[in-house]
Amino acid sequence: MPLPLYYFLSITAVNILLSWALYLPYRVAHLHFITVANMAISGYSAAWLVMSLHVPFGWALLAGFALGALVGWIVALFIGDAPTFAVVIVGFTFIFIVRTVIENLPAVGATMGIFGLPNIGGNPETHRWVIMAILAGMLLLTGFFLHRFDHSRLGRAASAVFVDKDLAASLGVNIKGLGMLVQTVSCTIAGGTGVLYGFIYKSFHLDFFTFALVGIAMTIIFVGGYATPWGTVVLAPILYGVPLLFPPAIQEWRIVIYGGVLVIVLVLKPEGFITRRFVATMESFLSGSRKKRNILTKEEL
Amino acid sequence: MKKTLGVLIVAALLLGVVGCQQPAPKEWTIPFLNSLTGAIASIGEYLEWGAERAAKEINDAGGIKGKPVKIVGVDTALDPQKGSTEMARLVKDTLVALGPVPEPVIMAAMPIAVENGMPSLTATTSLEYAQKFFPWTVSWFPSTQDRLAPLVAAWGKQFPDMKQVVQFVENYGPWPGMADAHAAGLEGLGIKMLDKVEVPSDAVTFGPLVVKALSEKPDGVVFVCKPASAAKLIKELKNRGWKKMDHLLLFSSADAPDLYSTGGKDLNGAEIYNYINPGLDSPRWNAFKQAYAESHNGEQPPSLSTNYYDAVYMIKDAIEKTGVTGSPSKLKAERKMIADYLQNAKGFHGIMFDWDMKDGVPTNKPTFIFKVQDSQKVLVQEIK
Repeated sequence: MPLPLYYFLSITAVNILLSWALYLPYRVAHLHFITVANMAISGYSAAWLVMSLHVPFGWALLAGFALGALVGWIVALFIGDAPTFAVVIVGFTFIFIVRTVIENLPAVGATMGIFGLPNIGGNPETHRWVIMAILAGMLLLTGFFLHRFDHSRLGRAASAVFVDKDLAASLGVNIKGLGMLVQTVSCTIAGGTGVLYGFIYKSFHLDFFTFALVGIAMTIIFVGGYATPWGTVVLAPILYGVPLLFPPAIQEWRIVIYGGVLVIVLVLKPEGFITRRFVATMESFLSGSRKKRNILTKEEL
Repeated sequence: MKKTLGVLIVAALLLGVVGCQQPAPKEWTIPFLNSLTGAIASIGEYLEWGAERAAKEINDAGGIKGKPVKIVGVDTALDPQKGSTEMARLVKDTLVALGPVPEPVIMAAMPIAVENGMPSLTATTSLEYAQKFFPWTVSWFPSTQDRLAPLVAAWGKQFPDMKQVVQFVENYGPWPGMADAHAAGLEGLGIKMLDKVEVPSDAVTFGPLVVKALSEKPDGVVFVCKPASAAKLIKELKNRGWKKMDHLLLFSSADAPDLYSTGGKDLNGAEIYNYINPGLDSPRWNAFKQAYAESHNGEQPPSLSTNYYDAVYMIKDAIEKTGVTGSPSKLKAERKMIADYLQNAKGFHGIMFDWDMKDGVPTNKPTFIFKVQDSQKVLVQEIK
């Protein structure tokens, strides 16, 4: 596989997974930025296991998922039913706390970072294929899970919570239980993604996990469309890939172009490019069915 | 007949081999992975200016082996994601590159250069980062401990009255390690190091930090933080009655334009260390200063502006002294030749001084302590 293609695909996959990790709790109106902190926690932990304790990568990756789930669950115990603003504050605070802890932990390189992560499988080529295979598997599995979730009772309950929490509660939706579920799954995805993110670069540095990463995921979700996972799939490669094709003279204006596009989209199409209605239309078109969905939630519209 | 046939076959094979060889390019293209946009774009601008200045001088003098050299800026935007993909694109057919800048991008992108055996000169980072990627890069600086401890000790020796020192330290990359080296140097003089005061990267107000530091009753202060933060801390110190300005020492990374624009006259008398001496009087340096001032509204060149200038000249030396042709068919071997040369380059004529490399580390670069006066640096002493 050509090297640029590998980096493009693998980093795009990471961006999709991170964005999905934010998308899922946003189904109940939680902007759960703790996912970025979880990427760092699991990533650094897995790197430490591999480098210091010589744990095989597979176990370190599983530990990353488990740690992500554990942290997500513990935090969700307290903010599973918190308002959106409180969840945002907790997420930002958590990022600060995690960065400060890592900065002061010599075992994981402190401010210097962790260098020289080994090739999985012993050589760079195998390493790349293993990373790609795991990322592809995670994308399929997570995408399938999100699809099933969105089409399940839980997904409909989440839509109800998104629109009106009190109304959803009066309909018997367990607000806290649902919030805890989506937050924990979100953090599990983020944990595994964080491990893979560092192993793509074969190093970890605190500045891999900054608010810029939150910005990337937010742009992907809100420009792509926050009501369906497909918006993320469409926008992540565009947002990351198209600027790479810009000539150098335009590269310098990249941030301005991003900002302009974001403003235009938020003004003209605040729900993002890919909406539920669009996905439903595409599904009908592809299946040849002319069945019309007449009932759409406010969020879907 | 057989003999003629044999000669023809050998000739055909030779022609085939020669025919398969791709011609050497008409110019030396050196990509520079740099942060041209984002938070440190202003630094990226003068790093690139230095590299392009060297290329212009080289081209005016006839190029490298008669061919012009071209610096191609590749923006990584301080983004590890972008840096890694750009590096992955470069390693296919690039002979040698400059950068990346800064540490997060270095850590994401340099493993790709190492894996593909492409030299890339990271001329702004510390040895502690660069050495992880030897021999495919070199360090522009000796080890932090070896270099900074005697340097800061030389500063401390000026002031026998200085008994205890506090450091303002921002937790970024190699900076805490630099603070440790400062402490080692001062403790060697019997000076007591007080508890460090951490400077948050996003600090807005500096008064509480200064109050905390002053509560320890220091006789001297060392600043290991961003230039603007250091300037604001010094202003706060002066507001709270600090008089002994030469008992304040700023570390090299604070020596940037925003230190002087933020600090202004409040910096007068403070001392600062660095690796270049802007007061040097040589035709080459004077021309550099003049050209920089002409293209930057009369400003003086910042301390890092010469790093990639020298790096381009070092690449020129490597190409000329190793017989590198630039032929794509010899790419792998010639990359190795350049890397090997750079690791142990001897008698390199830098813009400020000559130096040698040993196993990727400069062995005899001097450092300087200056006193700040009206945003200018006045040499106090040179430490070799």
